[in-house]
Formats: sequence, structure tokens, C-alpha cells
Amino acid sequence: MRRKIIEFREVSFRYEDEGPWVLKNCSFEIYENEWVAIIGHNGSGKSTIAKLMNGLLFPQEGEIYINGEQVNQESIWDIRKEVGMVFQNPDNQFVGTTVQDDVAFGMENRGFPREVMVKQIEDSLQAVGMHAYRQTEPHRLSGGQKQRVAIASVLAIAPKVLILDEATAMLDPKGRTEIMNTVSKVQENKKLSLITITHDLREVVQAERVIVMNAGVIWDEATPREIFTKKDELRKIGLDVPFVAILADELVQAGIAIHDEPLNHEELLEDLWTLHSKM
Amino acid sequence: MDITFKDVSYIYQENSPFAHKALDNISFHITSGSFVAIIGHTGSGKSTLLQHLNGLVKPTKGEVTIGDYHLSNDKKIRNIKELRSKVGIVFQYPEHQLFEETVEKDIAFGPENFGVEKSEIQSRIQEILPAVGLPKEMLERSPFDLSGGQMRRVAIAGVLAVKPKVLVLDEPTAGLDPRGQKEIMDMFYDLHQKQGLTTVLVTHSMEDAVKYADHVIILNKGNKYMEGKPEEVLSDQKALNKVNLDVPEMIQFLLAFEKRFGMKIPYERQSVQKLAVQMQHLLKGAES
Repeated sequence: MRRKIIEFREVSFRYEDEGPWVLKNCSFEIYENEWVAIIGHNGSGKSTIAKLMNGLLFPQEGEIYINGEQVNQESIWDIRKEVGMVFQNPDNQFVGTTVQDDVAFGMENRGFPREVMVKQIEDSLQAVGMHAYRQTEPHRLSGGQKQRVAIASVLAIAPKVLILDEATAMLDPKGRTEIMNTVSKVQENKKLSLITITHDLREVVQAERVIVMNAGVIWDEATPREIFTKKDELRKIGLDVPFVAILADELVQAGIAIHDEPLNHEELLEDLWTLHSKM
Repeated sequence: MDITFKDVSYIYQENSPFAHKALDNISFHITSGSFVAIIGHTGSGKSTLLQHLNGLVKPTKGEVTIGDYHLSNDKKIRNIKELRSKVGIVFQYPEHQLFEETVEKDIAFGPENFGVEKSEIQSRIQEILPAVGLPKEMLERSPFDLSGGQMRRVAIAGVLAVKPKVLVLDEPTAGLDPRGQKEIMDMFYDLHQKQGLTTVLVTHSMEDAVKYADHVIILNKGNKYMEGKPEEVLSDQKALNKVNLDVPEMIQFLLAFEKRFGMKIPYERQSVQKLAVQMQHLLKGAES
């Protein structure tokens, strides 16, 4: 049985008293080393969940536990060592004058000893493939490189959870691929739960589990494969379905008996190949 | 309006140690009424190119012609205000530019500055609201109380209220959810057709380029790398991969299909449904 790292117990949140509930009675768990994608239309509550996870916001109702500890005013400094976050805009999260200064910043704030800092800067920049740029000024980096440094800064404090809140949304396709490759490599090598909040379907299919938000409530929670069988329902709540899933459905309509919901081109081609050789 | 770039270069901070060539001898022609997608990576020169379209910058070398307006380094641009009323630019995250007390005032700001009569502005607002999908009740509200998607529509309405002939869109769907993205793009396509606009779309999305554009220009490091019909340019996987771009997903799949089965299905902007039928025919046919 995997260990729970994050637990939401009947959490409700609104930004103003008497205002509309942004989250209503949400309960879910996220486990050690798990990769979970959170998807939903704009305003569905995704980013609010992320901000509740490291105490940037506090719920009016319900409880949130990180690694067994309840999130509240007293615990947030401990919690923030466990939960690191990378946001959407690469230009809004740089403080250092060089890449390595930037990675050091979070550790300085937490009073890490120098030897540890030096080692962690090395390790985390290696992990995101930005070691060669450690002396570079941030404004000389591309968007994708900036986000990789932002990830390194978070990894340096060795959190148990890494949250990417639409961290690829402002990047070009190359930047996106860089980040997703970096992140999946990091997640394999380190003990880390990864939460990606995204509209990008290729990021969603990489996750082990998907939480679908709609109007402040958890609409569904399942593997990507199970989620994408519900095509019409997903479209109704403003979400998209991957091309392969749509094609698989149309192939079934056209009389080709695809039997499993494919998640990528290879799976669909493999399935077709097997069918084809039996025809 | 026809748009022509002739041997255009643009250098930032020329004659200084920081000189940087953003556009390098670029030439192309956009026919009036067409829908053109400009694709390229961050730093490829897209934004610099876009700023030439309404005279925010002048070319360092070469000449830009937009309708009857000419931009070149040695000449002062005449009638620049008139040009800017004809070329509307929707910048990235345009909702960051909202500032008025009410939605109505914000939309009216542009045309007021171009000297449009109050009554005319009113009638334009009435016409634009349904086109951008905003209800009339919203006119009296503060634009800052709206959702991100609604704020973006207000900002777009402000550009449309000037009645431009050329509409330039710089990644207009960035940050929106899938439904929002589709709604905004369908809205622009509809306006493009109904009002006979010339539309220039700067985008990272190969899917949008192939779906909406009738001409694509690919930029790389300030140079024009490729140009032509979307279904042709965007099928050239080798050439696109060389500059770190990729073909749209359906074309990726067709290429993978061809590799696996040795059967080619040409890309003709067909629907997924049509593609499924084509595949079914091929696979069944191959057996007999």
C-alpha cells in the first residue's frame, strides 16, 4: 500500500465571505511517487487546489494534510519544504542574477548550510539539464530553459511534491517538450509525487491518474485511459479529447473493432496491426 | 488590404555592441482577404514582424507596403494614425490592457481616439457584442469583475470597434481552456469571412494553422524558412523537425501509419470520420 502524501478531506473554499464557492466539498488523496494530472475548464478550481496544497490559501471548510501534517498558519513553513510549485509565467519567478544564485535562493531562505547548497545546486541543475548555464543571467535564457531552472530551484529543497501549475502554457512547442522530458526523468529518478495542472492532453496521458474538475467539484478521478472513454461528457464540460481517442471511436464506427482505448499513436497502430494480420 | 514585405531587415540597437538582427532580408506577399498563419519559435522574429504591420516599428532596410501605406527607414510615415485604424492588432494576453471603469467605455476607447461619432460607436458596440459572444448586460460592469475569457473578449471587441480591414492576432488563445480556444478561433474565422478581413495569425499551434489558414509562413532565426499552402508546408516533417517544429497531429499519425503499413493516405484536411473510413477501406482492401 502506497503512502498518502496529500489528503483533502471535504475541502470547500471561496475567496470572499458570501461569495460563490470555488471548491465544494472536495476529497481526494495523492500518494508517494505518484504522477497525477488535474484538468478542468478555466475557473473549475484547479489552481485553487494547488494554492491550498502549500498554504497560499486556507480552506473555510474541511482539512488538508501534507505528509500527515495538517496545513495551517503554524505548519506552512514546514509544509512549503515538502511542496514545491512552478507557475505559468517564467518571467515572474526569477530572483537571482545568475542561474545558480536563483537555485540557491530557496535554500538560503531555509538556512541550508553552504556545503549542502553547493551540492544541491549541482544536483538539481544536472537533473534538469541546465548545469552548463549555471553562471548565465536569467534574461539570456529561453522560456523553456527558465522553467527548467525554476524546477531546479524547487528540486534543490528536496520536496516530496512538485506541482506544475500550467508551467508549460506560455512556452512554445519545443519548450513544452523540454519541460515534459525533464519532469518525467526527474520523477523516475527521485522519490517525488508530481502534480501537473494542465490543458495539454499530451501531459495528461503521461500521468498515472487524472482528477477532472468541473465547477468546483471533482467530476471524475481515474486513469487517463478510463477518463478518455467518456468523450462526449468531457466535451460537455469544456474539455478536449486526444486525437487518437477520437480516431479510435470513428474506426469502431467504420467497422474496425478496436478493443482497448488507445492513448497514443503507437498503441493504436499496434492494435490495428494485430487486427490487420488476423483479417 | 494587400501586404508586401520586400527585402525587409530589422536590427535592434543598430550600430551598438548590442545590435541584434531580428529580421533578415525577408520578402513575402499576403493577398487581401486571405488568412495567413505565421509560425516560428520564440526569438524567430514573429513579434518584430508583427510590429511592422501597423507602423510600430519601421524596417531598418527594405520596404513594407500595407494597402497604400509605405514603410521604409528613410521616409517618415504619413497618415500613421489612419494606418493604425485599418490594422487592428490583438496582442498576447490583451486583457492586460483593459483599464476603463466599464466594459462599454473600454470598447469605446479605441474608436473615440480615432474620432468616430458617439452614435456610430454605439451602433458598432451593439453589432460587436453578439459577434464576440458577450451579453448586453455586461456593458455596465467593470471589466475587472469578469472571468479571464470574458475579459479577453472585451479587449478583442475594443480592437474590432475600430473596424480594421486587417486583423493581426498574436497567439490569441494562449492561456484559455480547450473550449475557450476553439470558441475564440471560430469567432475570428467567422469575422474573417463575414467582414472580408485580411487576417494574420501568429501562433505556435500547428493544428490551428492547418485548420484556419490558407497560407502559412514559417520563420526561423529572422529568416523566412518556408512558405506555402498549409497542407503542403505542414506535411514536411523533415524540414519542420530541422527547426524544432512538428507537423500537426493528424499528419504525424498518417506518416506513422504509412511507415507501419506501407500504405499512404494523403492529407487533404479531411475529418477524422473520413480518415477512419479511408483506413477501413485500405485495411480491408489490402486483405483481398
